[in-house]
Amino acid sequence: MTKKLLMGNEAFAHAALEAGVRVVAGYPGTPSSELIETIAAEHAAGRAQGVHVEWSTNEKAALELLAGAAYCGARVLFTCKQVGLNVASDALMSLNYVGVKGGTVLFVADDPGPISSQTEQDTRRFAAFAKVPVLDPATPEQGFAMMKAAFDLSERYHTPVIVRPTTRIDHASTFFDVADETEARPVPEEGFERDPRWVIFPKRAYEAHGEIHERLRAMAHDFSADPTFAQFNPQFEGGVLTAKGQPADKVPAAAAAPIPAQAPTPVQDSAGLPRPRLGIMTGGVSAAYAREALRMVEERAEAEGFVVPPYRFMQVGTPYPFPEEAVERFVEGLDQVLVLEELDHVLEDALLAFAGKTHAPFDVRGKLTSDARDRGENDVDDCFARISRFLGLSCAGVPHAAYEATEDAPLPVRPPVLCAGCPHRGSFYAVKRVLAGRPAVLCGDIGCYTLGNAKPLDAVDTCLCMGAGITMAQGFAVAEPQKKHVAFVGDSTFFASGLTGIVNAVYNDHDITLIVLDNATTAMTGSQPHPGTGVTLMGTKKPPVSIERVLRAVGFSLVMHANPLDIEGSVATVQEAIEHEGPSAVLFKSPCIQLKRPDFPVQVDASRCTGCKKCITEIGCPGIGFDMDARGPKSGSRGQAFVDASLCNGCRLCVQVCPFGAISASAEVACGDGTATDARAVVPAPAPEDVPAPADAPAAATAPADAPAAADGSRSEGGSHA
Amino acid sequence: MLDVLLAGVGGQGTVLAAKVLAQAAQDKGWQVRTAETIGMAQRGGNVTSHVRMGNGGEEVFAPLLAHGTADLVIAFEPGEAARVLSFLAPNGVLVTATTPIQPVTAALSSVPYRADRVVQRLEAQLAGKEASFVAVDDAALVRTVGSRKVLNTLLLARALAAGHVPLDVDDLRHAIEVCVKPAFVQLNLAAIEAAVAS
Repeated sequence: MTKKLLMGNEAFAHAALEAGVRVVAGYPGTPSSELIETIAAEHAAGRAQGVHVEWSTNEKAALELLAGAAYCGARVLFTCKQVGLNVASDALMSLNYVGVKGGTVLFVADDPGPISSQTEQDTRRFAAFAKVPVLDPATPEQGFAMMKAAFDLSERYHTPVIVRPTTRIDHASTFFDVADETEARPVPEEGFERDPRWVIFPKRAYEAHGEIHERLRAMAHDFSADPTFAQFNPQFEGGVLTAKGQPADKVPAAAAAPIPAQAPTPVQDSAGLPRPRLGIMTGGVSAAYAREALRMVEERAEAEGFVVPPYRFMQVGTPYPFPEEAVERFVEGLDQVLVLEELDHVLEDALLAFAGKTHAPFDVRGKLTSDARDRGENDVDDCFARISRFLGLSCAGVPHAAYEATEDAPLPVRPPVLCAGCPHRGSFYAVKRVLAGRPAVLCGDIGCYTLGNAKPLDAVDTCLCMGAGITMAQGFAVAEPQKKHVAFVGDSTFFASGLTGIVNAVYNDHDITLIVLDNATTAMTGSQPHPGTGVTLMGTKKPPVSIERVLRAVGFSLVMHANPLDIEGSVATVQEAIEHEGPSAVLFKSPCIQLKRPDFPVQVDASRCTGCKKCITEIGCPGIGFDMDARGPKSGSRGQAFVDASLCNGCRLCVQVCPFGAISASAEVACGDGTATDARAVVPAPAPEDVPAPADAPAAATAPADAPAAADGSRSEGGSHA
Repeated sequence: MLDVLLAGVGGQGTVLAAKVLAQAAQDKGWQVRTAETIGMAQRGGNVTSHVRMGNGGEEVFAPLLAHGTADLVIAFEPGEAARVLSFLAPNGVLVTATTPIQPVTAALSSVPYRADRVVQRLEAQLAGKEASFVAVDDAALVRTVGSRKVLNTLLLARALAAGHVPLDVDDLRHAIEVCVKPAFVQLNLAAIEAAVAS
């Protein structure tokens, strides 16, 4: 065993490996991606024996592949973010009716906020809809234990099991003891055994539905009674005196202080001890926030001489099926229960249903009664305020900021933007140039290139879900044929969900122009490989699946290439594609800047810059700023543009945009006199064939050998029919 | 409890800085939790890393700090120092780099982003209070060391050298040796020396 600082997702990967997982598949999506990357890294290092790991084309492909392996008895793990489960839901709904043989765990990461997602959908709700159990960790350590328990639960009841941490669990780190080496559990000797139950038919589905109900009842019992699972629904009592009879000498001095009028008077049990009338039920990371808040409330109450009334606390780590027996113990004698959870009011609903079923006398307070946030994340501050109010301790107030930033020095807003040197910038710019003033709809999609919506590019009119841009453009074309219709799609998204859309465009003859932004990776989620890269997580390298050949094969009659770093060539190519009648495509191929060696930064010639700001207002590169105090012969007192050499990677788009020739490459100067002070000259950048992950990204796909070497300074041949 | 907040702009290296602090805490035998911003916000957005250490032997529950509780705030950019000021404890220490990063929004905006004024304002605001303020001339330190990639180590070293928290520069050196790739250890140790000497 080795003690390591691990992010939640990394720890969950180790837990699955220690549980003997044999096949792991998924599709990248924040905040879930690091799990598969960790498995792949452990496999590549030779520490995880016998495991097969892959990024599948999309979530549906991944889950179906895993279903096959699980029917053979292999332990399997599926990973995705919350919206990824939508894609895999067709498989999941039926899989639960069919059942599984090998342990089948679905790791689905929810994203309250949302921080990096389209929706705040709640996978606990999805689990109830699909009638599969779901485990919901409050800490990375608990998630580690849940991952292992989930495989056992799955095999005990032949059911898929969902583990659904949220962003603050996935991306929180702490130290773990993990096995140095793991061995996948072999597939049982008998393997897949033919049986009618593997074929879903209406009659079989009817029988299976009853079996599902039976096992949900049994699991609800296990979640309350079997220590393996009941540990995920912990309860404790706090406040001045508990029903368990906390010794009087442990009572804080503050206990002698008068109880504030608004606090409920403690009720005494048969032994004459106060028993709690207030309960706090929590789910997920809110359990951790609430415990932190309770500690603060108790410290504050002690300091201010108030008594914290007795309360009972419960975390529900198995929200579905609802652990009713454990909840029955929790609500014993309570008048009020405050429910703290993120996303939907899942626990609140379950508790209300339980209260109705048992004719219970307690009130349930939470999202439905405006006693908890109805959306977004919870935090310690909010839990502190709500808990202290709930306990009748208005004295405790809210934790307050000691200092606040003042308004007189305004702070810039920092929306996420395309990186300096990002090849997508030139692609969007070329399309905007071609369409200038013409009525058109620009359909975006999911990926880094959603950021093409930011000003000044302002080149994304819609974004719905993975792959939707291609098909939505077709709907716009039917409804508004007088306009031009352009769909942007990234290379990874093209394979994940673009294929059906392009076939539809050809089959139903929709006049759209598809712009493929091929940066040779899945960039937004941290540079994962995909079918178009040919790189697999098992370490093999195949010839990439060619997007161009796919488009030609399905019947795109015009497929052109362009280099996004060459503005004039790109504009000419896009012009031709947009004028073409019927489905046309332009493939912009240029690798993500995370994958290639940066070129030397450009520089602004102070004697030529007029301060016109065109380099800023046209392409909005974060590597270019404006210095109001700079002076030059052409700029007068307007100020001048400047290049931040620590951000610029020398793509030279701005060189082409500047109408005065004021921006130029500085490479020759920097290299020639040997006085380069740029960071890159000190820390040698790796060759493009061997690119390490950037500090914040756990793993990087290597660029395919045929990716254009866009940074070599050579200008592209411009648009061409390939 | 020792609570540290690291604030910066995506790509500045707050994640590695949080790892180094976590390692230092582990070496002391403290429980530690960190939480990061990962995902879309990393593309030039403002990011934070929370580091919570149970230096009194207490259990750490939440991965995120509450407002008004950070014993130490290390900002990698002056505007980001101001943005997270509300997290600073009444007697906390605020260490900030002074080199601004101009977002595209500022270049497009008619209201300029004047980072020097932000720093002056922070200094004035904390003067005479229980809190301490340390403005670091990171541009000069980067010139000395020859690389901007070690900004995180430069700031950590300056923060710990100030002596307000129960971790010192030696703790930092040991943690660096564990957390940083071997090829970059010397560069980071040199950064520590430069920061301490400044």
